[in-house]
Amino acid sequence: MRAFKFTLKALAMTTVMFIAGSAAAKDIVIAVVPKVAVPFFDDCNTGAAKAAEQLGVQYQWVVPQNTQGSTQVKIVEDLISKHVDGIAISVNEPKSVEGVIKQPMDAGIKVLTFDSDSANSGRSLYIGTINAAAGTTMGESMAKAVGGKGKVAIVTGQLGASNLNERIDGIKKALAAYPDIELVAVEGTEDDLAKAVSVTEALLRANPDLAGIFGVSQVGGPAVAKVLATKEFGDRKGVVKVFAFDDLPDTIKGVKEGFISGIMVQRPVTMGKLAVEQLVGQINGTITETKDIDTGVTVVNSENLGNYTK
Amino acid sequence: MTSTSNPSANKVATKGTTWAARIADLRKAREINVLLALLVVGALISLASPYFFTTNNLMGVARAFSLTAIMSIGMVMVIITGGIDLSVGSVMGLSALVTALCFAAGLPTAAAIIAGLSVGLVFGAVNGVLVTMVGLPPFIATLGTLSIGRGLMYIVTHGVPVTPETPEVFSFLGQGYVGFVPVPVVIMIVLTIVFSVIMKKTRFGRHVYATGGNEAAARLSGVKTNRIKLAVYTLSGLISSLAGIISFSRYLSAEPASGFGAELDVIAAAAIGGASLAGGVGSVAGAVIGAALTGVIANGVVLMNINTYAQQAITGAVILIAVSIDVIRSRRSGS
Repeated sequence: MRAFKFTLKALAMTTVMFIAGSAAAKDIVIAVVPKVAVPFFDDCNTGAAKAAEQLGVQYQWVVPQNTQGSTQVKIVEDLISKHVDGIAISVNEPKSVEGVIKQPMDAGIKVLTFDSDSANSGRSLYIGTINAAAGTTMGESMAKAVGGKGKVAIVTGQLGASNLNERIDGIKKALAAYPDIELVAVEGTEDDLAKAVSVTEALLRANPDLAGIFGVSQVGGPAVAKVLATKEFGDRKGVVKVFAFDDLPDTIKGVKEGFISGIMVQRPVTMGKLAVEQLVGQINGTITETKDIDTGVTVVNSENLGNYTK
Repeated sequence: MTSTSNPSANKVATKGTTWAARIADLRKAREINVLLALLVVGALISLASPYFFTTNNLMGVARAFSLTAIMSIGMVMVIITGGIDLSVGSVMGLSALVTALCFAAGLPTAAAIIAGLSVGLVFGAVNGVLVTMVGLPPFIATLGTLSIGRGLMYIVTHGVPVTPETPEVFSFLGQGYVGFVPVPVVIMIVLTIVFSVIMKKTRFGRHVYATGGNEAAARLSGVKTNRIKLAVYTLSGLISSLAGIISFSRYLSAEPASGFGAELDVIAAAAIGGASLAGGVGSVAGAVIGAALTGVIANGVVLMNINTYAQQAITGAVILIAVSIDVIRSRRSGS
């Protein structure tokens, strides 16, 4: 008798929940996890928050305090226990999150990656710059700027970041067509401006005939521009061609003042927007087939500095 | 009675001074050993790269490690009292940020610098109070203020660097030169001399060593150990905020991650320079030379074009070798 009453009660509750379930979009909770607190991800946040508002879903922006893989694993575990409905994550270390992305996928929580991928994690899709393609664009822009010959170097961020390594692969692929261009060094900076400045200074001293520098992470552009603005390296302004990634205020300033030849600008606002739209679509069942989305890059230089979209 | 006690007291006193003298000699030897290690590493790098031993490069390297070195001066005093200050990186970053925000609000240079320094003063004093009056272990107290400081930075900046317009005169602090020596290096040298003298020649300095050597004995002989600790934590905070202001003046951009993890470099500098984390042993000059050693290695691996993925491991190996030689040598000269 007691058991019967309980079953009835449970049945009633399930029915109520079922009816309420699909109708109230406010019950859908989407969490977006960037790599770390840097301006690039603020743009993602802007796009994602706006999309969430338009779709009427709850939205959480969860920022890791450091770039270690384990920190993001912990965050995703917390989100699973909070029963969010969808997670979009920009991965710091692709391998470390593989296990923890499979778990929510099995529990029916939708997961996708944006900006930085973990290809073997079983995530539903990746939204972002196809970094190898962006790297190739960057390599070709450099080859043109240096006239197809000379020494070039790459200043990167975290050595383990897969999006940066894919850009580097793309650059190498583009440069392979130019036998007279020699890649003399690839230097890591841990995405720290102070380290990037020291590394750039040492690079310029070690290679007095350096023709070009690629800044493949967002600290590269500002760091190289700051170094070329000093008295010691002032005579190498314009001689060393610089291509950077991401349009931070200091990088834009670098283009205006002639220290930087071009910036590969990604479309973070679009990434954030698409991430939320895709997750909500999957949760509601309106999106059943998933395919990676390349948001592409715009090459911004002194000519189109005033008008480009993200 | 008096005639019997006097000679014995004299004997103890003589024994005490010889011990103190021997420890002091050992300490001196350690500084010289680390300096020798630095010169050997420098010589090896300049054999491998013709660009190392140039004025521009050496001054650039000195400017790069000067901030770590400056912070290690405050750190080594804390370590000598038997404590640790994990908050230095956060205090450095937060001071840079507060200074930047003052410029953004249109305040004059003097006000911005004072505001930046007061961040260090407050954080340092809070550390000191937590350690002495509340009685928290220094590791916990300063770990807490590390997180609070970094957290405040993220709350204020939302991860966006603050890059206000600054007057020309302010950039002198981080970007200027005295002759061919960068200003941050000049500041580092002046602070090293001032604090070496304070630690070696003043009563305060002797009390700092006494507090870390044997706190109970120091207290019994009249050293106000809590006051000494409060002073060294406050000084460490103040010095870190000075490093933050110099860093902001150099890059004119207060990054939310500025100084992140710097505490490890700073503690390492002090330890490489001969400070014992158990307290009582260490020197200001040693800490600065320790910072120089790591700075020179970091520069060398780039100049020598060592594969970027191997750089960290090589840096670690060189430090281990250099300090091992130092420790073995001082053990021999000590016995």
